[in-house]
Amino acid sequence: MIKEAFGKGVAILEGLGTVFKHVFEKPVTVQFPEEFKPFAERFKGRHELKRYENGLEKCIGCALCAAACPADAIWVEAEENTDEERYSPGERYAKTYEINMLRCIFCGYCEDACPTEAIVLEKHYELSFTDRRDAIYTKEMLLVPPPEGQEDTPRKVEPGSFDRSIPVMEDPK
Amino acid sequence: MQPQKTEQFTVPIGPQHPALKEPSSFLISVDGEVVTNAIVRLGYAHRGIEKATESRTYVQNLYLLERICGICSHIHGTAFAMGVERLAGVEVPPRAQAIRLIIAELERIHSHMLWLGVGAHQGGFDALFMFSWRDRETVMDLLESISGNRVNYSANVLGGVKFDLTAAHIGDILKALDYLEERTHHYLKVVTTDASFLQRTRGIGTMTRHQAEVLGAIGPTARASGVLRDVRIEAPYGAYVDHPVTTITDDRGDLEARFAVRIKELFESYRLIREVLDDLPPGDIKTRVKRKIPEGEAAFRVEAPRGELFYFIKSDGTDIPSRVKVRTPTICNMTSVVKLAVGHQLADVPMILAGIDPCFSCNDRMVRVNRNNGSDGWTWEQLRQHGIEYYKQRSQDYDPLVVG
Repeated sequence: MIKEAFGKGVAILEGLGTVFKHVFEKPVTVQFPEEFKPFAERFKGRHELKRYENGLEKCIGCALCAAACPADAIWVEAEENTDEERYSPGERYAKTYEINMLRCIFCGYCEDACPTEAIVLEKHYELSFTDRRDAIYTKEMLLVPPPEGQEDTPRKVEPGSFDRSIPVMEDPK
Repeated sequence: MQPQKTEQFTVPIGPQHPALKEPSSFLISVDGEVVTNAIVRLGYAHRGIEKATESRTYVQNLYLLERICGICSHIHGTAFAMGVERLAGVEVPPRAQAIRLIIAELERIHSHMLWLGVGAHQGGFDALFMFSWRDRETVMDLLESISGNRVNYSANVLGGVKFDLTAAHIGDILKALDYLEERTHHYLKVVTTDASFLQRTRGIGTMTRHQAEVLGAIGPTARASGVLRDVRIEAPYGAYVDHPVTTITDDRGDLEARFAVRIKELFESYRLIREVLDDLPPGDIKTRVKRKIPEGEAAFRVEAPRGELFYFIKSDGTDIPSRVKVRTPTICNMTSVVKLAVGHQLADVPMILAGIDPCFSCNDRMVRVNRNNGSDGWTWEQLRQHGIEYYKQRSQDYDPLVVG
């Protein structure tokens, strides 16, 4: 009886010892709004629509991302480019590009489907809304600003200078 | 339900209950504190995923089916991809199979760690819960660095995997496994020797070998009752053919055995990952699969962390499956909870339930809508219309642009 009680007392002390040992360890918690955990290189966050170095939009409005999307989150409407008003190289550009962030499952399949590497899942992940309508990210919100020193789109260009919609690229690895 | 005796009382738990993580309903009849009968009702988290697969292509379904379970998502994708690859007659490169195995085993580690925490929490042992979840983060970080996502890795594509393992990844994995192995030795010691925790687990929810066979228990739950039931051994798939698994069984069948079996399985996962990483086959990580899958039917079984996962895929020759049927492990183990709870204290029921590692929204695969006019069911359109009207009545702003 006494032996049993003594055994239990030792067990409790042993357990407390384990807990007490952790008091002196460095906490693993991250103080989130002030501190951030480093991102993994392959992290999939909010989408961004990329531009070429010359400032033209990479998106050509082909809507392959919308077709590939398992969650039907993407809506694309294409419009013809003219040399007076040029957004992207080639014939067409995306007039409307909307992603419903409530539907998006961040699988990255749009990224895989894109022929011009225009849509990329970037590192931004703080997505919260107070209205369902705010969840729809429009083209203006997704498109990155043009590189420094480059003019914004639409722009007037020399006829015949941007005929090819898909640039010459290496095979994806 | 049986007619109630005067001294009996039925405790309804759920479908909405603060202690339940997911909706499900338990009707537990008690005589004093002792459970005399238990009834479980499932189906509150039905999401219609099987139906949704019939309007998406095979590749889109890969991502959708991963969302069936938030814990064992990779294994769902693997089962579907391997089933479709069998239909298409495609041979997956060995490197892809090895990577699938590594991610599946990492997922098993994180699932078992998660369960250890949940199980300990149900037993009132929150220190173990915190420690095991802290160490689980090691695996989560590994999976994030490999795939970019903490859960729902979307590692599979038809005909292979999406991501290759770099030398840096392999180094990280090996380093993390050493740390986890040391921690797991500690956890095994805790759950098998801690006196107060053993009072909650030893001899509780004992399922004999015979019961496990009759009730059709699978996975670690069955293995803790001495039943050798593991798809990785019965019907090896993918890289498990070359890297056989040693099954861990325990004859005691109580909660302590389930803790021991799952923790010992972690060691087996560590060994397996090290073995595969040791001779990771070089070469491609994917092969081309045609968009249209030839007509036919395929059934595929894999071993999810919770037990056997079964997929049935029927193709009609187009790029959209005509039927996908999923059976998740929890549904097979759920009967054992109802059976084992009888005769135990009411306070032991949460532990017994946690002992099978339940995943409610995974197992809700079918729902039957009874209409007043006596017809059998609703069409997709009718159901959608009903939904729209329902939300209109609740004066929520329905906007087809936003919702549809």
